[in-house]
Amino acid sequence: MKILELKKVRKSFGGIMAVESFSLDVEEGEIVGLIGPNGAGKSTLFNCVAGVFPPTAGEILFRGEKINNQKPWDLCRKGLARTFQIVKPFASRTVLYNVMVGAFITTDKRAEAELRAMEVLRHLHMEDCKDVRAGNLTIADRKRLEIAKALATRPRLLLLDEVMAGLRPTEVDEMVAIIKRLRDAGMTIFVIEHIMRAIMALSDRIAVLHFGTKIAEGSPQEVAHDERVIKAYLGEEYGAA
Amino acid sequence: MNPSRYHKLSLILVVVIALCLPLVVRSATYLHILILLYLYAYLTTSWNLVGGFAGVLPLGHATFVGIGAYTSTILSLQYGISPWIGMLVGAVLSSVVGVIIGLPTFKMRGAYFALATIAFAEGIRVMVENIDYLGPFQLNGPRGLQIPPLNTGLANMMFASKEPYYYIILVMLVGVLALTWFISRSKLGYYLVAGGEEPEAAQALGVNVARAKLIAMALSSFLTAFAGTFWAQFTLYIHPKSVMSLDISFEIAFIALIGGRGSIAGPMLGALLLRPVGDFSRIYFGDKLPGLHLIIFGVVLVLVMFYQPRGLQEPLTRIYNRAMRHLFGGGETA
Repeated sequence: MKILELKKVRKSFGGIMAVESFSLDVEEGEIVGLIGPNGAGKSTLFNCVAGVFPPTAGEILFRGEKINNQKPWDLCRKGLARTFQIVKPFASRTVLYNVMVGAFITTDKRAEAELRAMEVLRHLHMEDCKDVRAGNLTIADRKRLEIAKALATRPRLLLLDEVMAGLRPTEVDEMVAIIKRLRDAGMTIFVIEHIMRAIMALSDRIAVLHFGTKIAEGSPQEVAHDERVIKAYLGEEYGAA
Repeated sequence: MNPSRYHKLSLILVVVIALCLPLVVRSATYLHILILLYLYAYLTTSWNLVGGFAGVLPLGHATFVGIGAYTSTILSLQYGISPWIGMLVGAVLSSVVGVIIGLPTFKMRGAYFALATIAFAEGIRVMVENIDYLGPFQLNGPRGLQIPPLNTGLANMMFASKEPYYYIILVMLVGVLALTWFISRSKLGYYLVAGGEEPEAAQALGVNVARAKLIAMALSSFLTAFAGTFWAQFTLYIHPKSVMSLDISFEIAFIALIGGRGSIAGPMLGALLLRPVGDFSRIYFGDKLPGLHLIIFGVVLVLVMFYQPRGLQEPLTRIYNRAMRHLFGGGETA
């Protein structure tokens, strides 16, 4: 079943075209990667899907329902969660507090929200830093906290915007393992990433964005050998390797 | 002894001391200072629901004091309705006005929001100053309203001595502190803090930030109006400058910023520190250097923002916890 359908989505800011006629289907239980050079329109596309702003034209369907003009908080309640490229922790509060904000989505009871938040933290091996102020976390832990907050809302579809940028190689491996575990637990994941090693290892399918248009789509192998992708994004050395 | 036990014990101790204070403090002047201290602690705690937890800086809360004061006073002067009932009517009215002000202004950020709330508050004050009759209600413009001290007694919230006022405002203060404690631990509290710190991130977690802020504003203006009625009954004379002026809004913000926004103890600590400074400087320097207290407030604010940007509540809480650990040997608890 298709969980997310993008049909000829276009987004322009004034005269600047950020995304042009982008179409993509995401199946339930898939990990789909979105790659492309800086400024290609990846985050803009995510923002359209997550309801930050509506697309200029085209249609976005989430579980068969058109969501073009829906607000982020309503979409989150329907099961669509996202992380931010520039992490946005509630810095003055503890890690547990941060995650509980997400967990309150299905309950009004504090005890229940706390229980759920702790579950998520254990799942991400973060229970030891539950009482640490979010502003004092390392960058790797901040990225994990972003995911923890999103997971606490129990999403069906998770949009991950560069959760591995700035991480050390061992931390990247850890993150890949975490994301794979989430998929195994039944979640669909749509991920923007620059670290090719990670996106190749993770994705079932990859779409490539360049100057706002999709120039390729396919399995990691297909995309890695696509002439246009090598030229626009990967670079000649990558194709040779 | 576990930490929550000694927290509870020290809280009970503080309340008992507060209850007994009028037995020790016989001077009407000092009692008056204490009542105003509690009143400002109450006002700031009510303000804190929006200004602290929701992370915006409203500077027009005097409007709600004024609405509370005028509503109950007009109802009792013209219709003989008890101020206790007028207090509730005023609070509901204030809440409605709060939401009306909040609807457009919560879309603004930072200084723009603060300026917009000042504009609303000053606009309403100037209107009241220039209106003698609002429909059937007599406002008396700048001359204000005087409540003749005829029927003293609990039913009319009017007393010959200061002690009853002391206990009324004490109960109000304890009530609003308890409510704040409850809200800070509730879903609404979490949503307000999240929306105040990182609105975009909060929205992505299912928080309707605008709605949470409006609820907080409704609650805050509701509670603030109670203080207005109390003030009117305490001084028995209200006019726009006394209950709607910017000075009130600013002093609330001073107390909150110095004590610590967004914390439960902050407004109380801020009032404990600033109110006596203000009152004593007015008593001793009022004739030679009127307004000295405002300069002192300014200096204190600058120093606090420099060294303790989260307000004095943070270092004081740390000292309190350490002292408690020494006293009771609570081990590794914080």
